[in-house]
Amino acid sequence: MDAFMQGLDMVLNMSTMLWCTFGSILGIILGALPGLTATMGIALVMPISFQLPAATGIGMLLAVYCGAVCGASIPAILLGIPGNPNAIATVEDGHLMTKKGLAGQALGGAVVASFIGGMGSLVCLIFFSPLIAKLTLAFGPAEKTTLALVGLVIIASVSGKNILKGLLMGAFGMALAFLGTDPFSGQLRIPFSSFFAHTPLSKGLDLTATLIGLYGVSQVFAEIVNLTKQQAAPVSTKIEKIFPPFKKVRQMWKIILSSLGIGTVIGAIPGTGASIAVFMARNAAQGICASSKGKLEQPGTGCLEGVFAPEVANNAVTGGALIPALALGIPGDAATAVLIGALMIKGVTPGFQLFQQNMPLVYGIFIAMFFANIMMAVYQLAGVRIYPKVLKISQKILLPVVLILSYIGSYAVAGQSISSGIYYMGIALVMGFVGYVLKKDGYPIAPIVLGLILGGMFEENFRRAVKLAGGSYFTFFTKPICWIFILIAVAVVVVPIVKNRKNGANA
Amino acid sequence: MTIVRRLVAVMLIITAATGLFAMGAEEMGYPDPEKTITIICPQAAGGSTDLIFRTLAEEMKNASGGQNFIVSNVTGAGTATGTNDVLNADADGYTLLAGGTHTIAATMQGLTDGYKNMDYVVGLNLDPFIIAVRNDKPWQTFEDLVEAAKAAPGEISFGNAGMGGATGVACVGINLAFDKVFNVTPFNGGADLIASVLGGHCDAGVFSQSEVVANIDSFRPLVILGDAHSTIEQLSDVPTLAEAGYPDIKVPGGSYRSIMVKSGTPAEVEQWIADVAEEAFNSETFQEFQAANGMIPQFSKLEEAKADHEEYIAQYEPILKEAGLYNM
Repeated sequence: MDAFMQGLDMVLNMSTMLWCTFGSILGIILGALPGLTATMGIALVMPISFQLPAATGIGMLLAVYCGAVCGASIPAILLGIPGNPNAIATVEDGHLMTKKGLAGQALGGAVVASFIGGMGSLVCLIFFSPLIAKLTLAFGPAEKTTLALVGLVIIASVSGKNILKGLLMGAFGMALAFLGTDPFSGQLRIPFSSFFAHTPLSKGLDLTATLIGLYGVSQVFAEIVNLTKQQAAPVSTKIEKIFPPFKKVRQMWKIILSSLGIGTVIGAIPGTGASIAVFMARNAAQGICASSKGKLEQPGTGCLEGVFAPEVANNAVTGGALIPALALGIPGDAATAVLIGALMIKGVTPGFQLFQQNMPLVYGIFIAMFFANIMMAVYQLAGVRIYPKVLKISQKILLPVVLILSYIGSYAVAGQSISSGIYYMGIALVMGFVGYVLKKDGYPIAPIVLGLILGGMFEENFRRAVKLAGGSYFTFFTKPICWIFILIAVAVVVVPIVKNRKNGANA
Repeated sequence: MTIVRRLVAVMLIITAATGLFAMGAEEMGYPDPEKTITIICPQAAGGSTDLIFRTLAEEMKNASGGQNFIVSNVTGAGTATGTNDVLNADADGYTLLAGGTHTIAATMQGLTDGYKNMDYVVGLNLDPFIIAVRNDKPWQTFEDLVEAAKAAPGEISFGNAGMGGATGVACVGINLAFDKVFNVTPFNGGADLIASVLGGHCDAGVFSQSEVVANIDSFRPLVILGDAHSTIEQLSDVPTLAEAGYPDIKVPGGSYRSIMVKSGTPAEVEQWIADVAEEAFNSETFQEFQAANGMIPQFSKLEEAKADHEEYIAQYEPILKEAGLYNM
């Protein structure tokens, strides 16, 4: 208890609160701008944190982190462009809700969901840290391979109506993931390798730049084409109701719990991350809604359920990713890697020793995370009535602005490397055209993203697992966790088919 | 018409004037206090290379009397992306590379022209590697591990943080010294490797010291690569390779960090950077930082730095060639 009071003392002061406020607002703004990620935001303010006391500095970094994860939902909902990979699964339902005139509720729901996710994962972080840390260690290359397999199977569920088109796009995404360097030998495997060897493309397609292209730039192209046609009457956006009705939230308790669990655990497993967690959470929500006997609407139809599931999950990742970071000194994702660095420069080495020797600081970090989540919710909610005004701006002004922001985002991904920045802008442009053509012909975009994210993870861990097993492919069938994932993957494929058969037989 | 002409004339004068001012600045000599000196760190923010240079940059700012230094992380392609950015910049001393053994490895793998087109300004320190296993494994000493591997070649997995990086080179070097009895497996960075060794998926690994300290309760450090004992208290009794019974094995004992600039940078500019870096290196803050993180100081300047690097290059070359990574 003494340590707790000391921790409280570290955080409960004006300077910490002000820096957290600053971090929170900055995080939301960065998150909302296409391409500017949580990692980038944290790296950006890291030099400031050096000048602050450890708990204050970490509090500010956590505020940026939480804010950026939550802020990404704003453009996803209003424009159909995810601010960063955290919001890729929010796009579909969020944007559909906006088209229905429910932008206010979608935005408010996203904040409430993010808050629940952040706080829930914080509770897991505080009470189950050692347990979950041990659990994540059970995830070796073989287990991660089968986890990626489950993710790949989910492609079927994000494909929309046409599964074949979805699978094709998933395969396309996986092919894109293999571009670049071989993860084992570092050898180039890319067409025209002698030329591309000296370009940033040698390390493959950058995920963020590709996302901006597929979602942002392609969206602008599509809207430009619409400009020449007859304008449909703008959707009137009612924003009276921001908070989702409490009853609705209570009905969704299963979705919240499953998304929270998925987000926290996936966040805690190094080498995975929010972009996988959000799709898995959404997929789980589909199952829950289907068996809710009509009480819940099906994600994909533009409903709150489809916004809640991924938004709970992506903020649950923040607490989850901190678990191995604090308990083992192993970052759960790129953003927490920077956080660990910020701690180490203060002379604090994360790991079990931190819990033994510097409990006040650990409590300080927990409390700072608590405030970071509250501030995230407060500041983002404060703007919910303002954000939808974006929709009232004439397309002729909005589209160029979005396009410019998209390019700034993909340029900024490269940090201060100018040559890489130009290449990333090129990736965004090319992927914009690809995305535009695909969307026009009714091919879904989400499977490409899943294939791109999971393809690399699958390949790398598959090869590593087989190498560790001395060349045996049987290694995947010797581990219990692998079995669970293989069964889940089989179930995801088989269950809908069986159901369809039954329905067909009944009809 | 006249108004337009007048406007054009005013614009021309303004342009010329700015040009003159700009030229004036050039002649003021290095360093221009208005300009920022960027240290490009080719590894991720928060990593140990990054931390070293961020600490050093702060001290260089102080030592130079307020010249602005920033560290910019340009990652990718096994440090080649950041290195290429320095090579693509002007050789004017405003873009420095946080270089070292990673630059040597990336250059030898043909990922960048790297050290072939660079000058060494200062050498800083060596972060020695430690070979460790999980503490419930049967091997109490490095010899136990080696004997176990010899008894069942290919059975014991020996991980590193990535083939092209410094831990990869050390890992391959050790494996070669024992006729490849280990199953050398590359992981995706240090974090991935720690998790796999702690989780029992990989038997042994090459780690940096801070990674071992963070998990000292679960790890059993077997041997420190490098010539001296660790300055970190918890690791101070870890034997060196020679003490463990293998005095003949010569592998790169850790990651070495230095400041490099593009070839063609004026000598007086290099001298200025080296002097400022030396003062920063000797500052109390930087010395404390090094000691706390167990880094072994190896300061060298200009010609000495060149000699130190050539020593590392000579060590790396046969290992990378044997590993099939050499592509220069």
